[in-house]
Amino acid sequence: MFEGPLQRLIDELARLPGVGRKSAQRMAFHLLGVEREDALRLSSAIVDMRDQLRICSRCYNVTASEECTICRDSKRDQTVVCVVERAQDIAVIERTQEFRGRYHVLGGAISPIGGIGPSQLRIAELGKRIEDEGIMELILATNPTVEGDVTAMYIAREMKPRGVRVTRLAMGLPVGGDLDYADELTLGRALAGRSEL
Amino acid sequence: MAIRSDQGIVLRSYPFGEADRVVVLLSPNRGKIRTVAKGVRRTKSRFGGRLEPFTHVDLVVYEGRQLDTITQATVIETFARVRLDLERVMAAGTMVEAVDAVAQENENSHRLFLLLLRGLKALDHGGGGRDLVSAFLLKLAGVVGVAPALSRCAACGREEGLDRFSFASGGAVCVNCRPEGAVRLRSGLTSYLASLAAADLSFLPPSDPALSGEAMGVARRFVEYHLDRRLGSLAVLDG
Ligand SMILES: [Zn+2]
Ligand SMILES: [Zn+2]
Repeated sequence: MFEGPLQRLIDELARLPGVGRKSAQRMAFHLLGVEREDALRLSSAIVDMRDQLRICSRCYNVTASEECTICRDSKRDQTVVCVVERAQDIAVIERTQEFRGRYHVLGGAISPIGGIGPSQLRIAELGKRIEDEGIMELILATNPTVEGDVTAMYIAREMKPRGVRVTRLAMGLPVGGDLDYADELTLGRALAGRSEL
Repeated sequence: MAIRSDQGIVLRSYPFGEADRVVVLLSPNRGKIRTVAKGVRRTKSRFGGRLEPFTHVDLVVYEGRQLDTITQATVIETFARVRLDLERVMAAGTMVEAVDAVAQENENSHRLFLLLLRGLKALDHGGGGRDLVSAFLLKLAGVVGVAPALSRCAACGREEGLDRFSFASGGAVCVNCRPEGAVRLRSGLTSYLASLAAADLSFLPPSDPALSGEAMGVARRFVEYHLDRRLGSLAVLDG
């Protein structure tokens, strides 16, 4: 539709998650107007990330060295591990500043409908860490979806016999929301997980 | 473009765009429908958990050129207890996977819808186990018109000596017929399968642990053979 190089960039941008044809075009035309050095900074940021980052050998977070900064931080509690589906979930939990343990990235969730099984996730690796690192508590931070539920139940069933405490993030009402708007499933879980005052 | 009211059971959904999901439902009147739920992945979405798999919902949708958009969703039943137990949620996963495989778009699906509704109800009321999945799959085969012959020979119609099963011939076969590829069944299995196929999903006959595993194997293979498709969810926890 457009001149070769422009169309090529639009095609590449449109392959990014959440970017449609229209946004890809808008971004491409924006980039057409930037200085050459700005364009280089963007392109080298992409290439450097690709070349320099790898997966933490302990927790499977993204890292620039053998182990990620969280795993290397000796001040963090090594007996508590927060289990997340994806590496980007770590940033979300870190922002709360409520958690001082380490992480374990599963690389997805068990899907009873899509047919993704536990062997396709890093669950065996989690079992090995429990044995090797003296982990005493797992906090399961999988998504509150069917997949996240199944994954949490499966991990609890597999890991509890190893003598580790297994908890899951509480589910309930969003802060700042109205009770009126809560759906039955969320409200039911909020009731089941109510806390003493 | 018009606004339409509908109801359905959520079969599955997948991420779409930045914060949306495409929600696939089974509607009794229109069969399989694909709808967009805008913003549902945000924690504060007004849909909340209303469009989670297995939920029976009343919908108001805005008809679009390609996909309809959900403007309102009201829960009829959540089947919340299904999700609290690993075996039950896997059974529900098998039910929706099988329904997803046979349901067509723009087609009256009342019988299929009722079957799924009854299956989820039975699970929610504490039912579970292999027999429920077997009974569900056998009934599903019946709804799509390939009910296995279980009380008479699929080849000659005889009612005695039905101790073999032929997936290609469509059910149990007698000792005289024995078509190629027929497998021998454990004694009593044919009538066990027949009782499951005829049972009310919420009141299954007493389970026989010696037969229920093999019964599920036959029911599953039968459905897979006739759908020409593997039921992945049944194997998820096997490794
Ligand atoms: Zn790490
Ligand atoms: Zn015969």
